Amino acid sequence: MQHLDEMTCLMYIERQLDHARAQDVSAHTQDCAACRTLLRALERESRLLTRAMLEEEEALPARLAQFQERARRSMQWIWTVAFGLAATGVYALYSNYIRPWQDQLETAGFGGSNLLSLLIFQGALWKGWESMIKLLEVLALVTLSGFAVAFFRKRVRRGSALALMLAGFCAAMLLQPASAMASETRRGESVGVAPDETIKGDIFLFGERVRIEGTVEGDVFLFGHDATVNGHVKGDVFAFAQQLQVNGQVDGNVRAFTNTMAIRGTVGKNVLTFDEVVNLESTGKVNGSLTIFVENLNLDGSLGRDLLIFGKHLTLSGTVDGAIQMKGNLLTINSSAKVAGPIRFEGDKEPEVSPQAKLASPVDYRKMEHRPEYMEGHYYVWQVIWLAAFVLFGLVLFQLMPKFAAEAVGNSERYGASFGLGVLVLFGVPIAALIACVTVVGLFVGISTFFLWYAALYFAQVIVGAVVGQWLMGRTRETWPLIGRMAVGLVIVRLATVIPEAGNWIKFGVILWGLGAISLALYDRFQPTLAANTPSAPYTPSLPPNTTVGGIQPA
Amino acid sequence: MDAPRPERMSAPGKTEPTEAIARARAGDADAWGVLYQEYASAIFRFCRRALPTREDAEDATMDIFAKLMRDNRLLQYDQSRSFTAWLYKVAANHCWDVLRRRKTRQDKETDDLENVPLEHPDPNQLDRLIEQRTSEEVRRALDKLGARARMALVMRYYSDMTYDEIADALGVRRAFVGVVLLRARHELRQALGQGGALAAGGTS
Repeated sequence: MQHLDEMTCLMYIERQLDHARAQDVSAHTQDCAACRTLLRALERESRLLTRAMLEEEEALPARLAQFQERARRSMQWIWTVAFGLAATGVYALYSNYIRPWQDQLETAGFGGSNLLSLLIFQGALWKGWESMIKLLEVLALVTLSGFAVAFFRKRVRRGSALALMLAGFCAAMLLQPASAMASETRRGESVGVAPDETIKGDIFLFGERVRIEGTVEGDVFLFGHDATVNGHVKGDVFAFAQQLQVNGQVDGNVRAFTNTMAIRGTVGKNVLTFDEVVNLESTGKVNGSLTIFVENLNLDGSLGRDLLIFGKHLTLSGTVDGAIQMKGNLLTINSSAKVAGPIRFEGDKEPEVSPQAKLASPVDYRKMEHRPEYMEGHYYVWQVIWLAAFVLFGLVLFQLMPKFAAEAVGNSERYGASFGLGVLVLFGVPIAALIACVTVVGLFVGISTFFLWYAALYFAQVIVGAVVGQWLMGRTRETWPLIGRMAVGLVIVRLATVIPEAGNWIKFGVILWGLGAISLALYDRFQPTLAANTPSAPYTPSLPPNTTVGGIQPA
Repeated sequence: MDAPRPERMSAPGKTEPTEAIARARAGDADAWGVLYQEYASAIFRFCRRALPTREDAEDATMDIFAKLMRDNRLLQYDQSRSFTAWLYKVAANHCWDVLRRRKTRQDKETDDLENVPLEHPDPNQLDRLIEQRTSEEVRRALDKLGARARMALVMRYYSDMTYDEIADALGVRRAFVGVVLLRARHELRQALGQGGALAAGGTS
């Protein structure tokens, strides 16, 4: 007897056969036990399937339990406003602050492309910085594009945006030129360049005492407690030191982060430093300009171009061939002083000018006003702009890393752990980054860590904003409503931080709390036990035929 | 095996909230709330069965309702017909979109549709297999199936969709829906651990 095929049987029980064919099947099964069994098996299979799919009552997840759409809709205009304000803010920031600064620095003799590179990246600093800027640019671009993709094509999977960003990061890392490789590195208790020695390229020196007696044809990078340059450096000098003395000759620029610095020799180009005390002694000579962030500057030597100083006290006895611009507390100009350009001083006290001093023009003094910031109108405008920028920053992060953001928000409710870890991370990470910077290999890692840490300070406020928003508007696990709560919460957090006096403490607490929550979320991510719970791939591949699944014994 | 069969959302006798539907069509947000309360869990379960992970299902459920509301797709719904069935169709289309976009296991599945399996499995062996398997095992096996196979089974045996609707959602000709379902069953049996002989066709 010709048996019915399975397809026909299935169509029969599914009532998909035409009447005549169905009758044939029906007639056949009267006589054929095998086909009857098959029909029955198929029918049982249907029921088993239905039951299997229906019987598991999975409770509706919390995030679905709330009807969110209305809140989301009413939030839409806020985004428009936030975007508008943020864009205005960026423009205003640039035109009000960065652009004039840049002009100022350019007139001060720093030819450069932008403020950032002028302040830190230009010249003698580790050459890898240049690639670092490129890296940052790449990162910024990739972040922006990832954000744009996520925003405009909501369909795109968030993972891919993040993957794109990471890929960009890795690519930038690989592209980073190995320029620092050509240099020489020396480390030890007491290191230096011997008097009769000539270094052809760049040199990195790490030590308690660092002395350069010989000649360096490239750039010099000093990390140490006491650093002295007695020899001749044809390139630039970059120093991180407790004390730096330049007694010899530097043909290039000097960039320094020191406690005290003394220049007795000659610097061919410009000097940019951050220090407590700087002495440009009578024998000292800087042919370029001097830009300085300092507590006390004693200028006895000569300066070829402009002086730009942010500091407490300037005592001028030497020669300045350019202009002087100072923002600070006190300006003292002694009788031996000679200044060829105009002097602008914004400070707390009237400048003390000796009548014997040879000045091209009298000091243009303006008293610094110490009005509380919040008395001024633009302060509020800036607060609003900053708020918008914060919201935007949060939006980008929540879009790029919705799961991580949600975890961080969740973790922030482990108050004790968050605050504790927050303290540790807030103070520990920069220290660790600094330590990493002291080793050449770690410099890149250290600086990247520092940047991440710095970004986390902002992200912390965003996270706390989201928590506060949830307190007010109820919990949610979905990304967009969470972003809405974050925006509302941020408004409140930012409002709290502008309260005079208490505001700064609130901000500090917020940062501790948020930073701890982020660190907790990161920590959880690296826990192998938790990782096993997160589904790694959407599908498990099907097993080969005849494989027993889950310990089921073959029938 | 004798678990009480929960009432299906589309079970006859259950009245559909026609008033809320009408109000929602007119853009009444509260009515949307009512509809959501009523149907969210069924749609979530549908998505949970059709999609690989719980999070996917949650996302899909939110997306389905969000899209319905945002574009007021309810206007496309023909009020003379079952709202539930229509909603399932929307959900099925959405889930299938999601799965298709991921392209997982798709390549393997598209080619062999016309390869109709006409084997005759051993009825007794099949019968025993079905009898021995619990719902839990079936659920686990379902998770192992290819996207289309699973989608087809869910549409047919969970939301009770018609062959036309399934054909429409999966983008196949109606005549092939049966093939898809049968192949899905074979895949399922294989996943249940007894597939070899049965799927390949035993003796009669």
